[in-house]
Amino acid sequence: MINLFTLKNVLKRLLLILVIFYSPHLWAQSDSLNKEEQKDTIIAVGTDGVNVEVLSPKFNHVLNSVQENYINSQPYISLQQMLKGNVAGVYVQEPSGEPGSAQNIFVHGISAPLLNKQALFDDQAAVYLNGIPLSMDNPFAYDIQKYDFNRIGPATNLLAAIDPNNVQSIEVIKDPLALASLGPVAANGAIWVTTKNAHAGYREISFNSYYGFVQTPRVTSVNAAYENNFRKPFYDKYATDNDRINYPAFLRDSTNVDYYGPANWTDLYFKNSSTYTTSLSLTGGTDRANFRFFAANTQNNGNADNTGIDRYTGSFFINVAPVKWLMVSSMMTYNRLDRTRNRNIRDRLAEERYIPDLTNPLTPNKSLYSSYLDEFGKAIDQNTSNIIQGYVAVSANLKKFTYQGRIGFDYNEGIRNTFWPVTLLEGNNFVSNYFGYNQRLVISNSVGYEFDLGNKQKISLKAGQNFMADVNEYDYIYAYNSPNDFIKTVVVSGDPNSSAYLQPIGFTPYYFPDKMQSRLASFSGTATYSYNDVLHISALVRRDGSSNMQPDNRWFTSYSGGANWDLRQTFLKFSPKISTLSLNASWARIGKLLSNDRFSAGPQYQVDMGWSNEPTIGSYAGIPGISRPYTNGWVGYGIPWSYSDQLNVGLKIGVLNDRLKLGLDVYNKDDKQMLLSVPVAEEWGYTGAYKSGMAVNNKGVDVSVLADVIPESSNGLSWALSANLNYNKNTLKALPGGLKELILGTTKLVVGEPIDAFWVLKNNGIYNTDAEVPVNPTTNQKLSFQGVPLHAGDPRWSDINGDYVINDKDKVLKGNYIPKVTGGFGSTLGYKSFSVDFQFYFALSRQVLDQYASSRLDFINTEANNNINSVKEITFWQKKEDLSTYPVYNPWSAVVPYRVEQDIFLQNASFLKLRTLSVNYDLIGGLKKGKSKTFRSFVLYLTATNIFTITSFKGDDPELTNYNGIYDGYGLPIPRSLIIGVRVKL
Amino acid sequence: MTIVFLKLSTNMKVWLAAALLIFSVSSCNKQLDLKSSHQADEAGHWTTYEDARSGLIGFYGLFRAAVADNNAHWLWGELRDGDFVSVSRPDLKAVVEGNLNASFPLIQSITDWRRFYAVINACNLFIERDSGCLADKRYTDSYYKLDIAQARAVRAFAYFYMVRIWGDVPLITKSNDGGNFDALTRTNRDVVLSFAEQELIAAAPNLPYLYSGDDPDQLFPANYYGATQDTWLNTPLTKLAAYALLAHIAAWQGRYIDVAVYAGYIVNNAQKSNLALVDVNTLVDPNGLFLAGNGNYDQLIGFNFIKSNGETSTSGHIEQLTLASTTLFPMSKQLPDIYVPKDSIAHIFPTSNGIDQRFGVDTNTNANLNYTTYFENYSAAIPVFKKIRIVDGGSNSGQFAVYNSSIIFTRLEEIKLLYAESLAALGQVDQAAQQLNNVRNNRGINSVIPGPNVNLIDEIFAERRRELMGEGWRWYDLVRYNKLKRNNAAFDDLIDKGGIYWPIAQSVMNSNPNIVQNAYWQ
Repeated sequence: MINLFTLKNVLKRLLLILVIFYSPHLWAQSDSLNKEEQKDTIIAVGTDGVNVEVLSPKFNHVLNSVQENYINSQPYISLQQMLKGNVAGVYVQEPSGEPGSAQNIFVHGISAPLLNKQALFDDQAAVYLNGIPLSMDNPFAYDIQKYDFNRIGPATNLLAAIDPNNVQSIEVIKDPLALASLGPVAANGAIWVTTKNAHAGYREISFNSYYGFVQTPRVTSVNAAYENNFRKPFYDKYATDNDRINYPAFLRDSTNVDYYGPANWTDLYFKNSSTYTTSLSLTGGTDRANFRFFAANTQNNGNADNTGIDRYTGSFFINVAPVKWLMVSSMMTYNRLDRTRNRNIRDRLAEERYIPDLTNPLTPNKSLYSSYLDEFGKAIDQNTSNIIQGYVAVSANLKKFTYQGRIGFDYNEGIRNTFWPVTLLEGNNFVSNYFGYNQRLVISNSVGYEFDLGNKQKISLKAGQNFMADVNEYDYIYAYNSPNDFIKTVVVSGDPNSSAYLQPIGFTPYYFPDKMQSRLASFSGTATYSYNDVLHISALVRRDGSSNMQPDNRWFTSYSGGANWDLRQTFLKFSPKISTLSLNASWARIGKLLSNDRFSAGPQYQVDMGWSNEPTIGSYAGIPGISRPYTNGWVGYGIPWSYSDQLNVGLKIGVLNDRLKLGLDVYNKDDKQMLLSVPVAEEWGYTGAYKSGMAVNNKGVDVSVLADVIPESSNGLSWALSANLNYNKNTLKALPGGLKELILGTTKLVVGEPIDAFWVLKNNGIYNTDAEVPVNPTTNQKLSFQGVPLHAGDPRWSDINGDYVINDKDKVLKGNYIPKVTGGFGSTLGYKSFSVDFQFYFALSRQVLDQYASSRLDFINTEANNNINSVKEITFWQKKEDLSTYPVYNPWSAVVPYRVEQDIFLQNASFLKLRTLSVNYDLIGGLKKGKSKTFRSFVLYLTATNIFTITSFKGDDPELTNYNGIYDGYGLPIPRSLIIGVRVKL
Repeated sequence: MTIVFLKLSTNMKVWLAAALLIFSVSSCNKQLDLKSSHQADEAGHWTTYEDARSGLIGFYGLFRAAVADNNAHWLWGELRDGDFVSVSRPDLKAVVEGNLNASFPLIQSITDWRRFYAVINACNLFIERDSGCLADKRYTDSYYKLDIAQARAVRAFAYFYMVRIWGDVPLITKSNDGGNFDALTRTNRDVVLSFAEQELIAAAPNLPYLYSGDDPDQLFPANYYGATQDTWLNTPLTKLAAYALLAHIAAWQGRYIDVAVYAGYIVNNAQKSNLALVDVNTLVDPNGLFLAGNGNYDQLIGFNFIKSNGETSTSGHIEQLTLASTTLFPMSKQLPDIYVPKDSIAHIFPTSNGIDQRFGVDTNTNANLNYTTYFENYSAAIPVFKKIRIVDGGSNSGQFAVYNSSIIFTRLEEIKLLYAESLAALGQVDQAAQQLNNVRNNRGINSVIPGPNVNLIDEIFAERRRELMGEGWRWYDLVRYNKLKRNNAAFDDLIDKGGIYWPIAQSVMNSNPNIVQNAYWQ
């Protein structure tokens, strides 16, 4: 049975099915079908073989979809970018402007605190491409990494593979019942991407191309004189003679032109670069069998550090209606992503797992920086992802009986080859190779039957089955010090008789293979009652079994239901103004999946011999050893499914023939019984024990408006507005074991408080003299920081509990890293063949913790530690933030005055951005519509993106923040771009 | 072919059914039973020879992690009040100066005892479950006895190591496997140490002098886990290792009669474990004492990091703190994190001792600095301590700064000096001097002749300071010395108030409210 699911077998089967279905019909095209068939009015249209339960009125789709003009005339590379600010309730994080790097999508807030990359993975919405849930890079690879800045491998955003010109619509599914019909994969919401499909009709060719450039950002570059002046007040005020002796070498000599010379590195780091796309699609065929072919190439470049991504896409779609009642559709799409990554030292060292001496940073001077960059000429940093998706779907419609079936797959592989020469790592070279893939096979079938009860009443019943099999695998190998920079591969001894057979020659490679499999089997049944299209009531029951759950808790049964009531039909049938008024309510319970297979077996033994920064050592005296998972945490038996209870009540109002469409949704989402590693008494050796019982509530409102203020009319003027807004608030409802609060590293979770709050000390200034430090009247001891008395030059932290000791008990929860309010608004103004549109995007009530400022101000500890956080990038010589507004504390103090977890580093990061401004000119319209026989449409457009930002944030861009609200200044700028493009339909 | 298809297309319903069959899959439970490839399940574990071996290696590996993490072995034992000073790192400076409650992340991390309790839990679990492996015929009774003895000895070692750092620690002798994580209180340190002592006394007879060694009585497994004596060396705890721990426990408690018995036993039976005193060249050679493997039996108790086994690391070695570029050994790091100031070096290695091969000034050659065995860059402001310098498997280049030196807990020289200390404390001056001079002469310095003007205890501790520099003993030596002498008021105060112990990390107390901070650090 098992090999039934290997990709090869699936492909074989698909091919077979394709041949069976298409052979007679595609071949028959030229001869035309027989006469009887020609008379049929049936037309082959695409089916993706899946049914999403939807009870809302039609324009619900429009309200929750990205507007078409935003998709196909903007130079965005990823799906996340296309979504950003365009649909109510969707929050997209773009932590770096580096093209093709990781971005995150959250729908209706986060269901668990983003404690690590695993949680980040588990909290994001699922993306469906024509109904196939896309398989993403599983975070299990982080287990072998010293640092989790980037996942090993190409770490390319797999959602950068979706070409906007291939997309028909992007809809965000938030309705609980609809999500329940999709199952556990969609528990965090679903992004439903539908590609353009084949359709009947005369052959159509569309061509879209743009060319443009991204602009160099305006930055203030600085040299050592600036840094020297910045440090001077600290030295003047607090330094001892010994501290002065240890003044950093690179700042010591002001005649050193390398550091004190011109800071013109920016000429080499920031560049105007081009960005372009070309795509072509061809649609054709007959009514009964049609096809679409799509090919595209896109080059998307960043403006910093020579980053970019190159995408090649080829897609092929066929729809066939072999007989009247049967529809067969298939898709095959291939994408290749080649990414040119940044040259950050930190990211490179993280991969190299070696910290060289970091005393002397790169120089701000162009000539020296350029010789450093030249060394990358010898380096290799290839990052390729190949992504193939495909399906064959069948939909049969035999009067009242319907059948839908599909076999689909998503296979994506990542390949990364690196080589860095000896000049980049203090005389050592480094080579690594990564090959990993994620493979998902989905097989689903559903049958439906409709009963006509008379009196305008209908009941339809549906039963479905879904099976999903995932494989995530990678092989990673790295090695140091090949014999010289020209030898970049591991050579093994090839003599089978030699004792060194297959032993690497010249250097020792470290090899890490890992594989994880998981499966999900689901059965569902739906019953829908409808009365005269006025009232629809639907109920759904489903049973899901996951291989990642323990055998006694493998299956989860859940019920959902919803109703839609057309109020207009009932009450306002003859109202001239209200064209749509409907009320919709649905409730669903959806099981949530575990994305790691380590829980399925209960208590377990793992390799756990590593320590901080040496996580991969797996043997002692050369013998492998295992133990309980002390570092990862105890896993016991009896882990139940966690689930999400979601309720949504929505009102859709259409006014003036739906010229004004308004959607108002109120939702409440309770994610319950979630698994969390809870710290246990350390005397049992574990960092924590996994326990279920965390519950998080998200509640909020979505408002969407689409208004044709001036509909297109004879005078040629038209004006449309769109706006969306979401307010979301999360609250921790429960912790495992009835705990009321929990401390997990630098995070504190308190029941009743938000899960995304920062846990910080309150800072009230500075003690200017020792005498100002309060003294405990009972013990006569000075106020201390965890036992270390405070002195002049230390921060005035609030002693919340009044025990004269500043410690964790004096930290408070403040702020939130997931914005409470997000949204966007835009407008399209048209006059005859011209149209102008703009689009704003905002996120309000959001804070970030400014680690950048903290580590710049804490330069003494940052530099002395010589660890990964001490790395100075070339952007060290960029003034990202004015640090003079912070108090001058004693940086040598044992209380670490510039520690990041205090509220002076908590910044308001609300912002409003003008994301795009676009001008379109329809040439055919200009030539008077319908006059051209060759062109169906010919549109020229000019689009500018990322035009301005309004924010009170002190750093460079409030968006360039890590997923957990930490601003570390590492994000590459999101570029401003300007493109000119053409969209032609023949 | 076409005919077949045409035939089929006339009978659509039939092959629709066929297609359905292809699509539909028996989504039975069996399909959902997948075994994880990166962990071992509970079911069926502790039934084989391999399970026992991997569990045994597991607790040794955890112990290595406990002492290697953040170079804690040296931060606990070498830095506080020791000879090293920090060049510029404020966190190390705080440790050196004994400001152990300073809130640097490093100090937070090394005051957390969880890693030791992981060792203890792994040992407890091993002791409870290992008998299951007897089901495997290859796992004989002699394996079982030996492995249990090791688990008990390692657990005792972990307790002793912890008591030296934190004083009272919770004593846990069962694994409580199954997820009951009681919040225990701290146990009196003497109770913990006497438990450790009893365990070691019980384990010692079941431990061999050598693993896979010559064993005419056939008490121990021959070819233990398929590895020869030369592979095992003294890596697992031997009988003498158990006695070494017993001697140290007794010394820590001031029971010098017992120390003399245990240490004397080791000294007299050293050759049975192939232990010997090493000459100074072996001591400091990149392929010498501190590099495990290659017939090196001299690490009586040590944790190794062997390059060919892929156990090279950057942390877990004093080199990470002490090495820097020198003329003889260029590295990219220009200044070390810690160093021994020149004044201290001169004081520790007085010329009155004669020509000390470890460091000294050769008066015969125009007062030139002659011995750079322990230090290089002596002419610079910051000398580099290079006694232990095993870079990249003992290569003679400092270019690739990864290390393979073992963490040596004790070796024969250390035991001899401890023996001397006990004899001196018991007033057996001549014998004490003999042991001391044995070590001294091996380093080329003059013998100490006992006499009214000679303070033998001082001489022994001064020798320990020289010989064991950089091996994580200095702080514990100071404690024992001051307990013996009680002539330093400040230090006596530390001893009396519990200031010789480290504070307990906030994270420990957060997860167990019954743990009370050491009074001195409250």
